[in-house]
Amino acid sequence: MFSFTKEQKTLEISGVKIGGQPGMYPTVLFGGLFFKGEPDFENAKKHIQNMLSLSKKTGNPGIPDFFIRREEHLESIIDFIEENLPTGYPFSIDIIEPSLKIIALETLHKRKLLHRTIYNSIHIGVTDEEREALQKHTPEMAILVAFNPKDKSSDGKIEVLSNGANLLDKGLIDISKEVGVKKTLVDTAALAPGENSGASIAAIPVVKEEYGLPTGCAIHNVVEKSTWLNEFKTARKTVDVSSNINIPLYGGDFAIYGPIENTDLVFPVIAWQDILVSEYTENYFGVSPVDYHPRRKFF
Amino acid sequence: MDIMNDNNVEYYPWGGEFTVCSPTSCVAVVLLNIDYTPSCDKVAIYGHLKTENIGVEKIVANVISNPYIRFLIICGDEIRGHKSGGSLVALNKNGIDKNNRIRDAPGAIPYIENLNREAIERFRSQIETIDLIGIKNVDKINKTIDECIEKKPSSFGKPYIAVRITPEAVASFKDKRALHSKIIIDYMGKVKKRKG
Repeated sequence: MFSFTKEQKTLEISGVKIGGQPGMYPTVLFGGLFFKGEPDFENAKKHIQNMLSLSKKTGNPGIPDFFIRREEHLESIIDFIEENLPTGYPFSIDIIEPSLKIIALETLHKRKLLHRTIYNSIHIGVTDEEREALQKHTPEMAILVAFNPKDKSSDGKIEVLSNGANLLDKGLIDISKEVGVKKTLVDTAALAPGENSGASIAAIPVVKEEYGLPTGCAIHNVVEKSTWLNEFKTARKTVDVSSNINIPLYGGDFAIYGPIENTDLVFPVIAWQDILVSEYTENYFGVSPVDYHPRRKFF
Repeated sequence: MDIMNDNNVEYYPWGGEFTVCSPTSCVAVVLLNIDYTPSCDKVAIYGHLKTENIGVEKIVANVISNPYIRFLIICGDEIRGHKSGGSLVALNKNGIDKNNRIRDAPGAIPYIENLNREAIERFRSQIETIDLIGIKNVDKINKTIDECIEKKPSSFGKPYIAVRITPEAVASFKDKRALHSKIIIDYMGKVKKRKG
């Protein structure tokens, strides 16, 4: 439970605030819609409604993270976003393939949705074409993934953000500025067990003190990649969900918590952790939680 | 998983999600998006590949530890976005550039950062990749395995145990930093940037 000397930026997208000193804003929770095969929009709708309902109850903002694998699904997913998310509500798009990222940016521009878009993500694989597309069709917010294949420690993550670690001509922070993204979040790149997975948590306060940017990670990825946990089938879900408490505990601002199906468990667990953090940070550092913080809801 | 060879060297030292079969077989099979189990009597090792960087590194390090392996069959639908299968083929064909990027790799982040160049050259010399990316027909894959075995290639010689390149650890119990050298955290939890 920390307080930072560096001024902490608070960013806003469509009314959702993220960042600041620990204990001020509730942890923002990104739930993934992975759509394996043909998208099941009925199911997605049900899960998003549930996320919004739990968000209202706990105070933790919930952002649906749309994982888009195929170009042929792009339009229908965007239709779904327009028709089913509350008016003006933010969402993130998570696409691996650089060429599909470019098409998605063009489509979101045409559909006038870029002001609600969190672009997930800019990383060392960013291509020149992707940079041009980002400059032309700039999303409101982007996540910078501090993955450094050479050095998975906090230092390696800082290196990628600050100078590109010899893998890029400049750091991810400068690239995001160059293309015109004004609001950036830092994802500390949680890797598989055995790949310095703990560094994604330890790097949170380091990144926040270095840049003052909202920081978090997808610690769920570590659990997902564990084969060791196969021996503890009943505990797997508990481990997955509870891993996320490390993020607010280390001063982080957001958790990308994996499948949206985990919403029922993740929201109360993180809300509870936010309460613990807030009780300490208000008492010792004088950081008052905002009026919709979980601590205001429960006490 | 610990398979020792004649020289008492442990094969497949980098670990991962794979199944170890016949240690003297000349074939290893990389599974992309495919539900298929190769015959353990015929292949040395098989397993799934997910990522175009760390995943590829593990495969390279593991297959070169067993000199009997001379063919690497890559089958199943390509991993979307990552294009890990194509990146593995490109590594074998083209090697890496000065920034450690696999030359002409189709993947999003195809960087080899934990293996030295000698290990990569060993991989390129020892192993012939058989590109069955996009193929899920089991008969076709089995036939390809048989064709490789029929070639009866000789062992490549001694096992090559790749050393994982890791940044030098700088931890010391003599200093009083908490968590990381860039920051100081006092007993209350106040974080400050460390000067100097």
